Amino acid sequence: MTIDALCRVVDNYGDIGVVYRLARALSALPDPPRLRLVVDDLSAFNLLEPEVDPALPVQSLRGWTVLDWAGPDAAGSPPGSSARAYADAYADGPPSVVLECFACGRPDWLEEALFDDSRYRGAGGAVAERTVVNLEYLSAEAYPDEFHRLPSLTRSSSVRKYMFMPGFTPATGGLILDREFVEAVRLAAEPGPRRALRAAIAGGLGLSADPDRFWALLFGYERDYGTIVDDLAALSRSTPTVVFAAAGKSLPCVVAAWERAGRPFELVRLPFISQRDWDRLLAAADFSLVRGEDSLSRAALAGRPFLWHAYPQGGDQSLKVRGLVERMRPFFGPDDFAPLEAAFEAVNDRIDDSPTVRGSERVSAMLEPSAGVRAGFAAFSETLLKNGDLAANLMTFLRGLV
Amino acid sequence: MLMTSDLRVGTVFKSGKDVVVVQRMLGNKGGRGGVVVKMRVKNLLTGSTADLGLDSGEKFEEVMLDQHKMRLSFIDGDNYVFMDQESFEQYELTKEDLGDNAQYITPEDDFDVEITFYEGKPVGVVLPISIERTITYCEPGIKGDTSGKSTKPATLDSGCVVQVPLFCDIGTRIRLDTRDGTFQERVK
Repeated sequence: MTIDALCRVVDNYGDIGVVYRLARALSALPDPPRLRLVVDDLSAFNLLEPEVDPALPVQSLRGWTVLDWAGPDAAGSPPGSSARAYADAYADGPPSVVLECFACGRPDWLEEALFDDSRYRGAGGAVAERTVVNLEYLSAEAYPDEFHRLPSLTRSSSVRKYMFMPGFTPATGGLILDREFVEAVRLAAEPGPRRALRAAIAGGLGLSADPDRFWALLFGYERDYGTIVDDLAALSRSTPTVVFAAAGKSLPCVVAAWERAGRPFELVRLPFISQRDWDRLLAAADFSLVRGEDSLSRAALAGRPFLWHAYPQGGDQSLKVRGLVERMRPFFGPDDFAPLEAAFEAVNDRIDDSPTVRGSERVSAMLEPSAGVRAGFAAFSETLLKNGDLAANLMTFLRGLV
Repeated sequence: MLMTSDLRVGTVFKSGKDVVVVQRMLGNKGGRGGVVVKMRVKNLLTGSTADLGLDSGEKFEEVMLDQHKMRLSFIDGDNYVFMDQESFEQYELTKEDLGDNAQYITPEDDFDVEITFYEGKPVGVVLPISIERTITYCEPGIKGDTSGKSTKPATLDSGCVVQVPLFCDIGTRIRLDTRDGTFQERVK
């Protein structure tokens, strides 16, 4: 089976990050599909995977074909300059299985081929069916259970379409369990291997972070991180602590709060790092504050305390956060869960985060977790792992259709 | 062409050779990638119904069917009988044909609706976007709370339950959006 996976980078690197992760997970399966990745922002892809050449409209990567969404003879390119490369990429036939990631739509050149029945007519005159699957955003709300694997419609009877929902329950497609990340989580679960993993991460990134310290990772949106910094400062008085401030919107806010607090712990300003390095750091951290659905899924799978800073969405983020909180609740006792719930709500309590409004989230219960809190995050992760790998679930679904 | 956001109960559109009518909107979720909608549709060629999930990316050809302005004559069990106001001919539709629209209709209604015909048979009803209904049950109203930001469930005279602002009371006449059942305003 050959899958054309389509991705448009809406903002930041979440979309391409998931597609890249899914591609790796699909390729690691037994009897993997052939993949063509059609991406509208190869520069963004290049930041996650430096081997991607943003200037090449068609290229090979890890055994996949990567194509620029703009298509052959895109504006600015000499006529015919890339047409041959696109034709070669589809030498074995037009697309038959298309994976639209996050309802990204389809590029015109692929749309034209996909809906042209004459290109799919066999020797006996029968027209082969094509399959489109829309892989939706991850949400912990209830609706993915309902929408998962629902049939959809297109304007052609020859092009079938379905919904495929990632999620936190067995009724969804689950989360991507890419081998490298799961291996990093396994290593981070035991003190010895964790120490070695942390040393490898620090060495690889050229950092001098001590692997025996408490590692905290902060990657959120713009806000006043004063309360979180205060709690980390309190921890650092008894436990040597290093805080990794990820590149992006939260970095200047975290640094400002740290400066105001008198630089109470070691802080590492992270440059933009590859997805592999990011995953390993997340897996190895004792506590993480993350944003975006992809990092949420990694933090939840890591099995250690985390806080999710949801994308501000006109108030809708509270529904998403509430959905996640309710998924987590059964894994904790009421007393253990109360401060976690309060922290999740507090860090997401505003529609528009402001770097000048101090948040009320207290994270001490996650920095110095009780046995119940520790066990709760681990059990949540175990359950998510048991839901299975989204890549494998997707292939099972596709093989049942095609 | 119709986008997913254009589809409402009663809309008839083509998917390949099939002609389908939207019967029920079963929920929607907005997200960064656009809205995803769950709906029940009926295939007018085969008579089969199916629940579907639609994202915002697809476009469909609208089927322009004959529509006739009619009024409800009476309801007999699950059958709704409408009368053409010019020819005085009567046409019967089932509750299933009406889909979600059935929950907004009472036997006393005298507003005009559009009945959609496919191959000479009535297949669906398009209600006015805005209709008036009376609240028959809700928790007591809270005077002074006119913001409309907080809501409570209210049962209407047609039997359906919708969310209304806290200031509404039993007997309050309200205007309702039939596309999604949302409260529009109090009728004074």
